[in-house]
Amino acid sequence: MIEAIAEAASSFFDASKVSRQKKDALFELATRICALSADARSSEKAIEKAAEVEHRKILKTGLGILTTGADPEAFDRAFAQAKPKDGADDPGSEFEWLFVRAGLRGIAADEHYSVVMRRMTAFLGSEYYDKAEDWLSDRAKRRRAKGESLVFPGELPDVIRILAMDKRNLERVLRAAGHEIAAAALAGCPQESMDLARPLYGKIGAAALEDDAARMRVHLSSDEIEQAQAALLEVLRNLDERGELHLGPEDELVADPAYVAAITKAILGVDQTIIKKAFRQAEGALVATAMQGMEPEAHDHILGALSNKETKRILDAIDDADPLPKRAVQGAGKLLAEKLFEAAAAVKAPKATLERLAAVRDWGS
Amino acid sequence: MIQWNADLARRLQCREEEKKGLGPIIKRLMNLDRKARGEGFLSLESELPSIDDPLLAVGLRLVMEGVSGEALEEILATYLLIEEKAGWPFLKACVTIEGILALSESDDPALMARKLLPYFGADKALAALEELEKDEAPAGKER
Repeated sequence: MIEAIAEAASSFFDASKVSRQKKDALFELATRICALSADARSSEKAIEKAAEVEHRKILKTGLGILTTGADPEAFDRAFAQAKPKDGADDPGSEFEWLFVRAGLRGIAADEHYSVVMRRMTAFLGSEYYDKAEDWLSDRAKRRRAKGESLVFPGELPDVIRILAMDKRNLERVLRAAGHEIAAAALAGCPQESMDLARPLYGKIGAAALEDDAARMRVHLSSDEIEQAQAALLEVLRNLDERGELHLGPEDELVADPAYVAAITKAILGVDQTIIKKAFRQAEGALVATAMQGMEPEAHDHILGALSNKETKRILDAIDDADPLPKRAVQGAGKLLAEKLFEAAAAVKAPKATLERLAAVRDWGS
Repeated sequence: MIQWNADLARRLQCREEEKKGLGPIIKRLMNLDRKARGEGFLSLESELPSIDDPLLAVGLRLVMEGVSGEALEEILATYLLIEEKAGWPFLKACVTIEGILALSESDDPALMARKLLPYFGADKALAALEELEKDEAPAGKER
């Protein structure tokens, strides 16, 4: 059973008792509150100013509570305490109180104005859905230009590009991650990534995603955005492991078992002095990516060959690495095999060792 | 998560014959879920003209718009709570909302069915599941 219904089942409100005229007036009130919700995101004083000039008693009270910076729960408690006693028998007043509470609670939760609008107009019934849609569409059309990009280093933009080759994949990942994580992750991506995500939501949803990403770009720390990106990639990995994504053979996140076996065997056959020499010239990110396509014993063999400082460099790079498609992992493995082959050939390593490395270097060619 | 309370249980009570009407509703929700998973959420737009339940139509439009999680749940609950529904209409609306929430989370249709079957009642859920699976089998199972 849906929690929200279970919690509120004892507080049904028959909206049929509320006149059409009253509902129309409340719709206009919803548009004011939603416009204020949008303004409050760009101006800290917007709520305070609105509270000062507001004449509607219930709304003025609620705005006053919002100016204290109350979170949604605190807002609920304070708003319930401030509920006017006169008019308790008037269905219109009771309805307005519930209606305003829904909208202002959305503002307290820093929700996008489109969600605030949907929350409020739900009280008016499904016949007001299209009216709200028209208002939101018009507002989405008049949005300001796109914000500045803030691009974090990492593989997410590449991964999004690959996922977008089949829109179902990108949609599954973004929706499974949820709006908050998706918007926060996209906040650290180039506009190109957002442009790939927007068409998956329709114009109102796309405006909400882009507005929220722009807001998070300003209000979240770098760590929070990086955490959101890592969370999004984790969602992707989980969906992929469950076989829920429609990836082509080159875009799968699970490496080809034959390739994994080949590179693991090739690495285990290389003397550790050769590994030490070859890896000195390799970038940590390259090694970390290549290691995503190896069995753990190959990891141990590599790390056992390196100094503590080198090991730390590689482990840090592994910590920072995101799961990548097969083609990226195998591409890095082939480059690494080439470096190892050159180092092994220079010391006249056994033929079998060189052949195994060459096989990985030339994998798929 | 199932969160029953006495008032809710009272409102959900309806005749056994009426409960049989849940089967087609659940099947329809599963088909919509299958379409969203296979063709993308915006593909549900083409289903809207044939939907005569305003709650289902609004729910699907919200999902297409990207509204999810707690916000979606609370908005849909509001649509339900502004009407003094009880009995079969209330049960039908609860199942519809639960199905829309499952769809928004891209649940596998089989998982969606298992979330909705308890509305048949503990003693009827298993038989309803068997009935549902019997009807679903020719269409092929999702991976």
